[in-house]
Amino acid sequence: MRHIMSRFLRVFLLAGLAAVSFGIASTALAAEEGLLSLHYDVTGKRLFKIEANQLFQRTDEGMAWNPIPLPEDVAGGQLLAVSIPSTDPQTLYIAGTSMGVQRSTDNGETWQALNDTLPSQEVTALTVHRRQDGILYAQLANDGIYQSEDAGTTWKKMDSGPSQTVNRIIHSDMEGSMQTGWLYAVSDDAVRLSMDCFCGWRPTGGLDAGRVYDVAYNLGDPKRVYVATQQSLWSSNSGGQEWQRVEGDDTVLVALTLSPEGTLYGLNHKGELLQSEDEGQSWTYPDA
Amino acid sequence: MRKRWFFITSWLILSVGGQAMAEATPPSSNTSPLEEGERVYRQYCSSCHGKEGQDMPNWVEQNALGELPAPPHGPEGHTWKHSDAMLYRIVAEGWRDPWNKTDRLTMPAFQDVLAPTKIRDVVNYLKTLWTQEQRDHQANESEEEPFPDTVPE
Repeated sequence: MRHIMSRFLRVFLLAGLAAVSFGIASTALAAEEGLLSLHYDVTGKRLFKIEANQLFQRTDEGMAWNPIPLPEDVAGGQLLAVSIPSTDPQTLYIAGTSMGVQRSTDNGETWQALNDTLPSQEVTALTVHRRQDGILYAQLANDGIYQSEDAGTTWKKMDSGPSQTVNRIIHSDMEGSMQTGWLYAVSDDAVRLSMDCFCGWRPTGGLDAGRVYDVAYNLGDPKRVYVATQQSLWSSNSGGQEWQRVEGDDTVLVALTLSPEGTLYGLNHKGELLQSEDEGQSWTYPDA
Repeated sequence: MRKRWFFITSWLILSVGGQAMAEATPPSSNTSPLEEGERVYRQYCSSCHGKEGQDMPNWVEQNALGELPAPPHGPEGHTWKHSDAMLYRIVAEGWRDPWNKTDRLTMPAFQDVLAPTKIRDVVNYLKTLWTQEQRDHQANESEEEPFPDTVPE
């Protein structure tokens, strides 16, 4: 009897150890995926990439990713977001945890911290208003969404945000808002949407596709939205009311952005750039 | 059969008559604009938004047709996030949520029922339901987007 109990305990402990190890590995992978980000600069026709806590830029026709030096005082932070105003390519905004929001007005030569009126520097997501360069939105961890109407000089809390952790936010000028547009918020489980007057967060259409990574929309047709998930790419012609799975090669992307011409760009788990000219049905490696 | 017609007729008389009497009820001459706003609120708004502007069940969740329940007007709602101009426009012209798939407006229009001053009064009454911080925020939003110039003082 004692022998049976001993064997049972050993099996139980081994199973527990395996489960914990799997959990740690999954968390590490999830954390890694969350640190990759991609943004298309409309005016400068450039791509910005966040990878391994560094910021890179590359023209949409170029091959090389050029690093942009970050401010020294954010070395201990985790870079998570980059956003560029729609009419001013010299201005860059970056944000992350333990670094707050930073701005450069000379394409990354120098940086200024914009955190004087933010209650913490734990920023998990950032976006610039699609049409108004001076309006920014920053998601603070365990707090909510703050808005600045003066290019980051002062901030005001607008909303507690979705109850789920928000990894990405993106402003859209899609019609139908009571104010000036909409905000998409990406959490692990779903994409949610709010008018930029913050009149409540609504879930977008059902996505039974595993973890949600990123969202992007067509600047010329904002109702045309794409979402990258653990199980391939999905698209919507209604701003996200309903999603349709994009039939294609099931490439999994963890970051997504779109040029005004409709070219989709994505990053895979390794941080490699992919490009699609057919709305996500097929992908190529432009850097290869 | 006769009983059913009696019921329907009585309901119509009471409904139409009650509405007519309500509209005909003149505000007291010594009623303040805020009291008048509260009177208008109770008459036209409270049946959907609650007597005290309190929380409505599941007001953030759209139903299968994309319709949203009326939101609360108190601190837990979002009314305080809108400027005077926006609130006036929503009350006057109504509002259709872009995800609403029905023929109905999400919020009905009241410009054929309420005079401009009454719309302003009811919006100003809503401000009494907010926190001071929310009132300050809304006042700030309204600096650039005040009530329309066409509303008499």
